[in-house]
Amino acid sequence: MERNQILDQTTAIFKDILDNETIVLNDTTTAEDVEDWDSLNHIQLVVAIEKHFKIRFTSMEIQSWKNVGEMIDSIKSKLPEA
Amino acid sequence: MIFNSFEFVCFFSIFFILYWFVVNRNLKLQNLVLLVACYIFYAWVDWRFLAYLIGSSLLNYYLGIYIEKSTKPGVRKVLVYIGLIQGVGGLAYFKYFNFFISSFNDAFNFLGSGLNLQTLHIIIPLGISFFTFKTLSYILDLDKGKMKATHDWVVFFAYVAFFPTIVAGPIDRAKGFIPQLEKKRVFDNEDATHGLRQILWGLFKKIVIADNCASFVNQCFNNYHSLPASTLLLGAFFYTIELYADFSGYSDMAIGIARLIGFHVTKNFNFPFFSQNIAEYWRKWHMSLTSWLTDYVFTPLSIAFRDYGKLGLALAIIINFTICGIWHGANWTYVLFGFMHGCYFIPLIIAGTMNKKKKAAANKTVPSLKEALNMLGTFILVMLTLVVFRADTIKQAFQFYHDLVSPSLFSVPVLSIFDTHKSKVLAILAFIFMMFIIEWFQREKDYGLQIDFLKSRFLRWSIYYAAIIAIMLFISKQETFIYAKF
Repeated sequence: MERNQILDQTTAIFKDILDNETIVLNDTTTAEDVEDWDSLNHIQLVVAIEKHFKIRFTSMEIQSWKNVGEMIDSIKSKLPEA
Repeated sequence: MIFNSFEFVCFFSIFFILYWFVVNRNLKLQNLVLLVACYIFYAWVDWRFLAYLIGSSLLNYYLGIYIEKSTKPGVRKVLVYIGLIQGVGGLAYFKYFNFFISSFNDAFNFLGSGLNLQTLHIIIPLGISFFTFKTLSYILDLDKGKMKATHDWVVFFAYVAFFPTIVAGPIDRAKGFIPQLEKKRVFDNEDATHGLRQILWGLFKKIVIADNCASFVNQCFNNYHSLPASTLLLGAFFYTIELYADFSGYSDMAIGIARLIGFHVTKNFNFPFFSQNIAEYWRKWHMSLTSWLTDYVFTPLSIAFRDYGKLGLALAIIINFTICGIWHGANWTYVLFGFMHGCYFIPLIIAGTMNKKKKAAANKTVPSLKEALNMLGTFILVMLTLVVFRADTIKQAFQFYHDLVSPSLFSVPVLSIFDTHKSKVLAILAFIFMMFIIEWFQREKDYGLQIDFLKSRFLRWSIYYAAIIAIMLFISKQETFIYAKF
């Protein structure tokens, strides 16, 4: 899967979980840029992403992301090459 | 040396002149003067633990540098563990050792074994819970690559020992605070005005409200068995207000003092009693501690338990709040206090409303009936747990609850108990009402007295003088800050 496809699908998950259709994600987006993206919703987002892409993150990976770009890199690294 | 004391005013005046007018051109010297002031402030209260504070700073300073340098994950892990063991171990020894020993003795005696391990005569270093959480977050953030280690020992030592916040917080994270120490600070009139106003508001809450509530609360909790339930309820109400006014008042003063010397300290309270539910309350009460626990306790736990859905979330929250409770001190009352708050989240988790953030009466002057009832309900839930928090033992707390549930709950409360007179109690109630009215209208601001929007200079100064006069008129027996003992 292409990186921008992953970003689009992740954005859709964010919109659904945070119940906000105006969310636009890019590589530099952080929790501070998105209203309601806090520690509690973060876990819900992670669970939804894992379910959607059928992948599993480690605890260290989840806590090491500094922005959406790093999250997308993690997802991409776990998906089979096209 | 507490903030509302003559000796602190002398200490701060000398420091202020040196800091802004003598060494202000040289950042390194300015930081060194700040560090020396921090250690004088700390030693003034109790010099015996200065060595522990310095030792802890030294160890974590070098650990930080070596964690950043280490390329081998194994070595890095060992260094992080050394930092964690020093921090948690120090807390365990100074704060909880005797608690563990006496709990072991009690447990074995209950099982019929006559175990009698000796407790030790341990004095708790001032502010240990606060500065230890600073060093722990520094090490953990470095390990996760969230920040860079500082290579300036004066900066790091001043971060750990920063005198406005060392006694009772707010707990500033290194990531936000160290950069402030590393850049040149310029005296800013507007910032200083904000600082002074916030100090005044903190003093008002501490001296006029908290200290005056304290005498009624102390009498009430010391003699609860001989008082009618309605008076006990009033005592529990006053304690809730006392704790808020004392701790938020302290935080306002700490933040204001820091602003006077050019620092922006993290916010600790955001008008918690206007919360619609307990989750919102904890987002607004002792925010620097709750955000610390969220990052380093709740988040790892909720990630680990994420496969168990709402059950996993409830478990993570209950563990998180039990730790929050025991952070306050070595007593089963604090454990129960935290556990109760954790359990309060269960209905919200089940309903899926824990994270719904709705501002009460947004853009309105008066809350709706539903919002007002939600606020009242949240206040009552908190007040009930603070009976446990205030009690010396769990048994005493339950006796207080037992005495609270009686027909005398519907009687007129006795206002003149022992040396507290009815007129004083009524005056305190009037001030509490006034505080809440001010805070309600100022709830979008950082603190109650942030009245820079008032154009009339005369009106602003009238309000300042009214606060000062109230402080001078209602100054009572000086009480230490409640959170200073944690």
